[in-house]
Amino acid sequence: MSVLVLAGASQFVAVPMIAAGASPLAIVLTTYVVNMRHYLMAATLAPAFRGFRRPWLALIAHVVNDESFAVAVARHNPPDPWFYLGSAVAVGGAFVVGVPVGTELGGLVAEPERWGLDFAFPAVFLALVAVQLRRWADWLVALASAVVAIAVALVLPGNWHIIIAGVAVSGIAALVLRPEP
Amino acid sequence: MRTEVWLVIVGMALATYLTRAPLLLALARRPLPPRLRLWLRLIPLAVLPALALPLVLVDHGRLVASPMHPPLWGAVLVFVLAGLRVNLLVTVAVAVAAVAALRALG
Repeated sequence: MSVLVLAGASQFVAVPMIAAGASPLAIVLTTYVVNMRHYLMAATLAPAFRGFRRPWLALIAHVVNDESFAVAVARHNPPDPWFYLGSAVAVGGAFVVGVPVGTELGGLVAEPERWGLDFAFPAVFLALVAVQLRRWADWLVALASAVVAIAVALVLPGNWHIIIAGVAVSGIAALVLRPEP
Repeated sequence: MRTEVWLVIVGMALATYLTRAPLLLALARRPLPPRLRLWLRLIPLAVLPALALPLVLVDHGRLVASPMHPPLWGAVLVFVLAGLRVNLLVTVAVAVAAVAALRALG
């Protein structure tokens, strides 16, 4: 999974869903929604890879990831393609090697809840939201989406609240708000 | 591993690739319209809280928002630390430790 999907956040969501016997369609749809952020990153990175041939671009697409994107954009905008690729190879390599190591060692931790480890997952996502809040409208979008998601989660089973709140709230906001320059 | 799990993984791989490849291939030449760019920037801002907060506040279809609920305080702590631009790993580690400590006390 880590080689083929190579997207940690969605894999963290998918594993408990697989274990709980969720429907394959729901798992794949959730993966898609969680990873929709790649559209934005790909769109931002695209101009940097202007001179590259299409087969290479198709391959580079597989290593679009949050961490490499963040460091490459923070350094140069538009990002330096080779800096980006170096970072992506490092992140991908560490991820693919780290997963089997963690799988071997993970069994040593009995009762992850006692150590608060079940909270690590929402914590990562909350931290990733907090660092992205720039304009007041961003706060509004995040808050509205949280309220809608909780309301939907109380009514509908499964993970539909993520898709419904995520797409609807961001879509309405994008229609209402003035695009930034 | 069971065949069904492999099918799910291949489905996930395709769904993920579908989020990565099209725009990288299509936009290597021209820029995106501003409103679409705004939407793409807002999607993670909506998806991430929609993912995280029900995990913290909803348990088996019921709202758990009492002050005796440790993950609630963990969430507040994450928000404050990340907002102060404390390193992501440190933020998560501190919040996880705080939740564990509150559970041990409670």
